[in-house]
Amino acid sequence: MEVNGLLFTLEALMIACIFGFIYGFLLQKADFCFVASFRDWVSVRDTRVGKGMLVLMATAVLGWGIALTFGMGQASVAHIWSLDIGLTNLLGGFLFGIGMTIAGSCASGALYRAGMGYIQFWIVILAMLVGNVLFAYVYDPYAIDYVLEPLTWTDGITLYDVLPIPYLLLSALIVSLILVPTLLRFGWHGFWHGVKNTFQDFKDGNMLTKSHWDIRFVGFVMGVAATAQFVLLSSISITGPETRIAGTILSFIIGEEHILNNLYFSTLFAQHPTVGLGPEEFLVIFVIVGAFVSALLSKSFKIRVPRLNRLPYPIIGGLLMGIASRIAPGCNIANVVAGVGGLSVHSFIAMLGMACGIFVVTAYVFKMPIMLFQKDPFKM
Amino acid sequence: MSMSQAELEALHIDHEVDGMGEVCPHTLNIALAALKKAQSGEIVVESTDHSIATKTVPAAVQMNGIADVLGIVESNGTYHIYMKKK
Repeated sequence: MEVNGLLFTLEALMIACIFGFIYGFLLQKADFCFVASFRDWVSVRDTRVGKGMLVLMATAVLGWGIALTFGMGQASVAHIWSLDIGLTNLLGGFLFGIGMTIAGSCASGALYRAGMGYIQFWIVILAMLVGNVLFAYVYDPYAIDYVLEPLTWTDGITLYDVLPIPYLLLSALIVSLILVPTLLRFGWHGFWHGVKNTFQDFKDGNMLTKSHWDIRFVGFVMGVAATAQFVLLSSISITGPETRIAGTILSFIIGEEHILNNLYFSTLFAQHPTVGLGPEEFLVIFVIVGAFVSALLSKSFKIRVPRLNRLPYPIIGGLLMGIASRIAPGCNIANVVAGVGGLSVHSFIAMLGMACGIFVVTAYVFKMPIMLFQKDPFKM
Repeated sequence: MSMSQAELEALHIDHEVDGMGEVCPHTLNIALAALKKAQSGEIVVESTDHSIATKTVPAAVQMNGIADVLGIVESNGTYHIYMKKK
């Protein structure tokens, strides 16, 4: 069955599970953390994770450009994830940035760490689902006239649609915005040295059982996988499917009709034959499975119970992420990979919001321990 | 300052802190709490299974003049960060 381009077949389900497994496996192998990519640069000028994210974005942009140019599979401008543009993107992104910094992980980070045995991130995921449901039931009936539509400026735009530049050339120009400063900073020799270092981890031993892969290598492979998913299935997203998972769970308690009577949930399930899990939801679940297998192979799986005094962080951070992901809309993965890959304007605004949110919490809250340390009269 | 694994493992450890199962920024908070208790010149070692902490903890304590990082030893996915309080 096909509804609005999204396939609901056993084959699509299996493809989605495979992609989810690959993402989970890769995220775990590199400890790929979107919060860390910006937070660590702000707090300690560490760029290791940031480099991985830049490689991922560049690969996705170039991949989308190639897929659109050659009209591969499902790839078309009409299938690009491009949503309404407005203050919602900035506000939602900002709150999401704050939420993920407090929670200690982004939407994808929570999934792969849950697969590694961190109970803390199961709590983050649960709190996100509660946040999704809260948003849906506050939106309809209380906030329907006050959020989303009033804060929206215009319909979604992708630069592929509005700029009179061939797709491949446009994507190459965008990638050059990342590559040129890198080359100016490190030179050709430094750049090539960096590319060679990307494969350092694979020189000896079994790749599958190694506990760490270079994050730039993982960023590249994830970008290729995300492009293949765009061609074969749909754009990658996490929090939209998570909201449908929350709606499905809730439907078992209060009934399917109550879910479909809610305007927000009914919009989210509009492409589904019924209230239930589709390929994208199974993809999300299989991110956890992929991370679990990866952690088992490298012997890094362990049930890790959080300290009681840490519980406010996953609960508050997760709730905020759940609500904010509905306002933005979308999480780090959808906006940074599918949105930027498809050159969707709303995603660039959401990313700016996320960066501001991470900056505010990192610069003014998480630097407090160091500030307090330095004020300690017994320091010396 | 970066010492070999054998040199690091031969050091007398004054304060050992368990950061296993924790993620950033709490891995840093745990290290800071131990460094607060330590006297100048004492060795503090934090154990962590969070690879990102092996960059952020050393960078934070060095940037802020709190401690010198002597090196990091990795064994089966567990990292031991050796720090000497300034």
